[in-house]
Amino acid sequence: MTNKSNNGFNTWQKSFEKETKKNFSDAKSETDEGIDIKPVYTRDDLENFSFVENNSLPGQWPYTRGPKASMYTNRPWTIRQYAGFSTAEESNEFYKKNLESGQKGLSVAFDLPTHRGYDSDDDLVMGDVGKAGVAIDTVEDMKILFNNIPLDQMSVSMTMNGAVLPVLASFIVAGEEQGVDKSLLSGTIQNDILKEFMVRNTYIYPPEPSMKIVADIIEFTSKEMPKFNSISISGYHMQEAGADNVLELAYTLADGMEYVRAAMSKGLDVDDFAPRLSFFFAIGTDFFMEIAKLRAARTLWAKIMKNFGAKNERSLILRTHCQTSGVSLTEKDPYNNIIRTSYEALSAILGGTQSLHTNSFDEAIALPTDESARIARNTQLILQNETGVTKTVDPLAGSYFVENLTEELSKKAWDIITEIEELGGMTKAVKAGIPKLKIEESATKKQAKVDSGSRVVVGVNKYKNPKEPSVDVRVIDNNRVRDDQIKKIQAIKKSRDTKAVEKALANLTNAAKDETNLLVPCIEAIKLRATVGEVSKALEQVYGRHFAKSLSVSGVYGKHFEGDKEFMKVESKIKEFENINGRRPRVLVVKMGQDGHDRGAKIVATSFADMGFDVDMGPLFQSPKDVAKDAIENDVHAIGVSTLAAGHKTLVPELMKGLKEIDPKSKIIVFVGGIIPEQDYEFLYENNVSAIFGPGSNIIESAEKVIDLISDNLSKE
Amino acid sequence: MELVDKIIKGERAAIAKAITLVESSKDTDQQISRQLISELIKKPGKSIRVGFSGPPGVGKSTFIESFGSYLVSQNYKLGILAIDPSSQITGGSILGDKTRMVEISKNPNTFIRSTPSRGTLGGISMGTREASIILDAAGYDFIFIETVGVGQSEIVASNLVDIFTLIVGPGSGDELQGIKKGITEYADIFIVNKNDGELKMEASKTAADYKSALSYYKKLDELEKQVLLVSAIEQTGMEDVIKTINQIIDQNKLKGIFDERRADQLEYWIEEEVKNIIASDITNRLTSKGNIPKYSEKVMKNEMSMYEAVETITKDTLEQ
Repeated sequence: MTNKSNNGFNTWQKSFEKETKKNFSDAKSETDEGIDIKPVYTRDDLENFSFVENNSLPGQWPYTRGPKASMYTNRPWTIRQYAGFSTAEESNEFYKKNLESGQKGLSVAFDLPTHRGYDSDDDLVMGDVGKAGVAIDTVEDMKILFNNIPLDQMSVSMTMNGAVLPVLASFIVAGEEQGVDKSLLSGTIQNDILKEFMVRNTYIYPPEPSMKIVADIIEFTSKEMPKFNSISISGYHMQEAGADNVLELAYTLADGMEYVRAAMSKGLDVDDFAPRLSFFFAIGTDFFMEIAKLRAARTLWAKIMKNFGAKNERSLILRTHCQTSGVSLTEKDPYNNIIRTSYEALSAILGGTQSLHTNSFDEAIALPTDESARIARNTQLILQNETGVTKTVDPLAGSYFVENLTEELSKKAWDIITEIEELGGMTKAVKAGIPKLKIEESATKKQAKVDSGSRVVVGVNKYKNPKEPSVDVRVIDNNRVRDDQIKKIQAIKKSRDTKAVEKALANLTNAAKDETNLLVPCIEAIKLRATVGEVSKALEQVYGRHFAKSLSVSGVYGKHFEGDKEFMKVESKIKEFENINGRRPRVLVVKMGQDGHDRGAKIVATSFADMGFDVDMGPLFQSPKDVAKDAIENDVHAIGVSTLAAGHKTLVPELMKGLKEIDPKSKIIVFVGGIIPEQDYEFLYENNVSAIFGPGSNIIESAEKVIDLISDNLSKE
Repeated sequence: MELVDKIIKGERAAIAKAITLVESSKDTDQQISRQLISELIKKPGKSIRVGFSGPPGVGKSTFIESFGSYLVSQNYKLGILAIDPSSQITGGSILGDKTRMVEISKNPNTFIRSTPSRGTLGGISMGTREASIILDAAGYDFIFIETVGVGQSEIVASNLVDIFTLIVGPGSGDELQGIKKGITEYADIFIVNKNDGELKMEASKTAADYKSALSYYKKLDELEKQVLLVSAIEQTGMEDVIKTINQIIDQNKLKGIFDERRADQLEYWIEEEVKNIIASDITNRLTSKGNIPKYSEKVMKNEMSMYEAVETITKDTLEQ
């Protein structure tokens, strides 16, 4: 007899309906993923599973309950904080401090020029050097980065996807020159290029040659670096870009399948490399969903790898790093972020992650300070030492709700994976731009929910803090960092054997023309002190640089506001504007410099268009001069600059200069949105920026401000 | 007019402002723009106007990026008017062409303007012709007009340019069905894009299909239509495109077709303009007299037939 037909349940249902004055069947809430959450789950909800197996154990097929039998009862997860600060020297200091205070692994963040394969002295990257991470131009920088950190004892994780070849080569050479053979190096390189094409945009070459490079690295490490993880297949950035958990899960696993195929096409046996594949997921604020996601990921991966013919048990097991969600952090009332991060961390632990990064509460505004980084690390130390969560493996197993949710997520993700496979795999899907568009659609929906108030964000759209606390943030002197890097490059270029470098680079270019593994000639070039930029250019000669086509969703944002007063107010202001001025208000939305995070820009573009603006989208990686030309030719009323990588202090004044150079009488107004520390506001206003919209700004309110500013500006004429 | 001098000097901001004026729906702007255009046509440049059309997804913008880069590398000045098809019925538009024209948009010898189509005939009628007159006066050697190939827009677009080009993709058998007779009269050049990688075989086959289909529809006195194979991504076939364009232009000039065509186009636009004015006049009269609701009610009540109503309203409206 099932529960629902028994008297107990009927009685419960009656009480429920009496208390809530709602029919039980209507009392569901729909998640972003389109899953209906019921107010109660029973034993019935454990039936008819096709993925989850009810009686499985940790460390056993299908590994839902964890990759290891003992999990944290034997050894807790690794606290691995991601960090990188401008220069190798500063980063090195930071690492050493962290290692002293209990951190076990290192995680390196690189600056955007390094990601995109440009040297610090390249004109294209003026505003980006040392922002959002450390600048690496040559192996000398890498050696400083790991000075007095024994690389045979420390596991190093590197977030690098675009310029993987020169960066991994520099790491190997730095180890060698420290006296550590490459076979002893341990750690992970992200090397996950597919998601770059979907969300983060720090690619260099087109998808196909990029996949070849991924396969080269898997091949090389599986033979020469047995302790090194060749790839970290990342869903993190998808969730950061607005993907819901099903999309994140499905696309990440589908990416993984594509990498497995790429490696197998090199003639490797699946068991030669699969045990060294690792994953990376984001953990947001939807507490149980995130737990279920990690459990579902392991369940699905085991099935996928079995289908690939894996024999070794280690090939079937998904191991993952997790990071708390950056996009859930708010600029408003920032101490709330400590609380958000704590719950997210607990989710990751209950989901069974192998390592974790907890964000600092000020990361919605700037790079963390020593103090905020300490709080972030302590969040994990408290979980490990005070809460008792390490004492029982997979404590939520058997929960009617969590098990059911794990199954539901698995099913939904499996459907999407099947779709992608039918399209011919992820490389093809990515080239067609489908996943990117789906993620942007999901992001726009989420934003609309927050802006319309149907999703509460404490301190942002409800329970606002009347006295916003002011927070000290880390300030980076970008020009100083760039000057220092340029001096270092010049010195190295003088002292190295230029002929030998040129020959090594020519060898590399030649190698790119056939099927040779590119890491070997890359290491040679780096050893001779070729720069990251030179190595990237040598390959670019054969592969070219990739420029993404930009597709946009429309109507998704507006749909959430049918009949909304504020929305209609902006719409009618725009209609009035059109009647007076003979055209709609026209806004150019741009990203400048090497920052490829375009979720914000895309959401602004699509929602502004839904309200009635004509929106010009600029290509990624534009220089301020290009933006000025574009804006003037299209005679836009305003330029919206989206900035998330701290380049605005250099790039915005350059833009203003560019506008005046083409048209001394230019009346185009400029507004800036994204991650901008309050300390920079005055500087930007002094440079004639008309408005600044920080993270968590309500888009409708922002749009109204923009249309008002444009109208005011025109009436001054 | 000060604006005229500035345009002729090639001042970017002035050209942009002038295009805004000719696109504007505001009465005062339209008056100024008429004055402006009357002045500008007295000072014609030497531009060749080339139209590019084709179904969505064949890589029009990517082709223009590639072909345009080739032209500017040969020191030509290039103006591009892109009619962006992504406009919505309600709300504004997202104009994303430039995300596919990364290299040429940086070049100082280009001027690129996107215009939201607003759903009318591919959006061409309002201001596009005038915008090309502005770019001509400003000294651009080539003016590209990019439209999306939907419905009537090809006919309208072909009336704006000296050479009309249709871009198609490999394996476009369906389009071949669609092109039938009509389009061959408007298009001078057919460009089969994506002649690269896995699609190479298919692209050559498509080009051959087009060639045979076009010879079938060819009129006796007509020039042979050209079918070209290119790859926008690999930037191959671009010399052929410019060579073919120049050849056709030279031939047409020699035979007088070039001027004849511009004269025909002028007729077309005068007719369009007159029709527009009459139509809007008639619409105004219709609304002010209120005959439509009045007579539809009668038809609804079976007091008269629809045809009688139409006849009565027409007569009444046309009466001075």
